[in-house]
Amino acid sequence: MLLVGLGGLGCPAALALARAGVGTLRMVDDDVVDEGNLHRQILYGPEDVGKDKLDAAGQALGPVARASGTRVEFVRARFLPDNARELARGVDLVIEGADNFATKFLAADACHLEHRPVVHGAGLRWVGTAWSVAAGGRPCYRCLFEDVPSGPQLSCDGAGVMGPVVGIVGALMAELALRALSGRGARPELWTLDGKTDTLREVPVAARASCPLCGTAPSILDVDEARYLSERGALAESASS
Amino acid sequence: MAVTVRIPTPLRTLTKGEEQVSAEGTTVRAVIEHLEQKHPGMRDRLLDDKGIRRFVNVYLGDEDVRFLEGLDTALKAGDELSIIPAIAGG
Repeated sequence: MLLVGLGGLGCPAALALARAGVGTLRMVDDDVVDEGNLHRQILYGPEDVGKDKLDAAGQALGPVARASGTRVEFVRARFLPDNARELARGVDLVIEGADNFATKFLAADACHLEHRPVVHGAGLRWVGTAWSVAAGGRPCYRCLFEDVPSGPQLSCDGAGVMGPVVGIVGALMAELALRALSGRGARPELWTLDGKTDTLREVPVAARASCPLCGTAPSILDVDEARYLSERGALAESASS
Repeated sequence: MAVTVRIPTPLRTLTKGEEQVSAEGTTVRAVIEHLEQKHPGMRDRLLDDKGIRRFVNVYLGDEDVRFLEGLDTALKAGDELSIIPAIAGG
């Protein structure tokens, strides 16, 4: 499987999946560890600040991956339109824990076009969400959220992220991934976690006939870079910080 | 007629941190207008000139109001609306 982003969501998901013995865990990221990551990105310690996240994660995951027989692979790159479909095509499932909307929509599109299941996750302040979409499945991410938001959006740096919230959501993403790989499929439900009220809720999601990705007359037939640029500079920013 | 509206984290700056608020109205549109009066700025965060913003979802119980009557979805006393925006972060 492919893990997009080794941030607050990707770290716990990677740890759970490496221990589970998922065959090959391929991780894509090109960021370095920052001191501001340490409260939630549980694969890294203070000694890793300034190192490539892939190197630090590989060191942390090595013993458990070896014990479970999981092969850990690294892709030092950003998940971008020019490599997204190829990366998705090369695996059985994609887990997306990106911190920007553009990468989320790109992952949704690439996975749908390549007929690969995808698990989406997000966390901000006290709230997290997780959602599993079957291969070529409906409803998809665009059925619910339609398109990349315009205008300024809250970000991890500006709004903050509670470590335990992304810890729970990252573990849930791993569970959803294992469920999909085991053939139990994806349910059309968005998981939402409110860390302030300790409420984990399943919200049903319905497919939209007019969805441009999975609807009856889809208009998204490729990953055109221009489609992901309405969020200013989104694809140029880190995918996992 | 009062309904309960669950406010997501990104919008709680408008409700002084309140996680849920009470609002009056017999339709989703009326409730949003009442929310705007009580918490200025809410309307713009939820609606654009085409209706509910494309990256925001409003649920009546477990039903997305887009699949009901949209902004004209009828409400009754005690109903619960949830606002679920797209979030990115990790």
